[in-house]
Amino acid sequence: MSECRKDNLAHFAVTIIGKDRPGIVADTAEILYRLGCNVEDSSCTMLGGDFAMILIVSHGKPFVKARMADEFKSMQGQGLSVYIRALNEDEVCYRSPQGELCLVSVYGSDRPGIVYRVTRALAERGVNITDLNTRLIGTKDEPVYVLMLEAALPEGLTIENAEGLLEKLKKELNVEISVRVITPVSL
Amino acid sequence: MSVRTILLYPDPLLKTVCGPVAAINREISTLIEDLLDTMRAGPGSVGVAAPQIGVPLRVCVVDVSENRQGRENNHGLLVMVNPRIIHREGSAIMREGCMSVPDYTGDVERATSITASFLDGSGESREITASGFESVAIQHEMDHLDGLLFLDRIASLKTGLFRRKKYK
Repeated sequence: MSECRKDNLAHFAVTIIGKDRPGIVADTAEILYRLGCNVEDSSCTMLGGDFAMILIVSHGKPFVKARMADEFKSMQGQGLSVYIRALNEDEVCYRSPQGELCLVSVYGSDRPGIVYRVTRALAERGVNITDLNTRLIGTKDEPVYVLMLEAALPEGLTIENAEGLLEKLKKELNVEISVRVITPVSL
Repeated sequence: MSVRTILLYPDPLLKTVCGPVAAINREISTLIEDLLDTMRAGPGSVGVAAPQIGVPLRVCVVDVSENRQGRENNHGLLVMVNPRIIHREGSAIMREGCMSVPDYTGDVERATSITASFLDGSGESREITASGFESVAIQHEMDHLDGLLFLDRIASLKTGLFRRKKYK
């Protein structure tokens, strides 16, 4: 189904992160535009006081990483970290997650190991995380950790199984955990 | 009677406000048959609107009775000609996808319960109150009649889950 531009010859993952300010996206987009690159997929957000961009970009003609890196030097001069990775063909296309999609929300008093224990429990059963956000909220005296993740369940694993899988972590970590189905409805 | 090709965005018909049906004649009956055939042919499809098959008229079909999320609460097969929503209640967010916008889904806020009036396939006036998934499906299909896609109604980016708050 997914018609990614596989006919384009060069694909790169570009990661840019640095202190947030207006114009980071515009500067990045301008460089890519001038290079003739397409932004095929991207996710950009504020993380702490930084702004983080992750992009999959492509070029219709053979294209070397060094040329792109050269163009981004001006941004690096402004305190932004830029990392470019050339992609293999099998990394290029987006594949919609198969199976039931669920949202797992975890929150409770902050303590070490929340992300680790929850994601390890899921990974051990072949649950594939497709999206994940965490944030520290609450007050200085009572910091609260919030973890929200979306994951595709493998065949044979029900939502109840996934809940059961995380049930014992609730007590061990003293956090609230809930799992709900968010599989998109096709209309 | 035939399965028609579903138009994909950016086909301009998908952004067209459709005109009302003046009378249910043979032409409209054929359109309804085609909508039903097309809906039944789409894998897991629970509704199709006339503009999605290239006809800018206010007709859509909905049937969530075979769907896991709709089978316990529905009005069966609905043929809706010139539908209007006359009452809405509540709101809930559901992640929607659309046959006319493949490979993309988004969280959309819809009324949880609606009352709709419309003509059925034989021209009889009907009024129903739908809730849950059926109500979402009707609202999604009716949006097509006004040239609206779910993309016009995305409620939030996923990061909107968090209220930003900082402490040192």
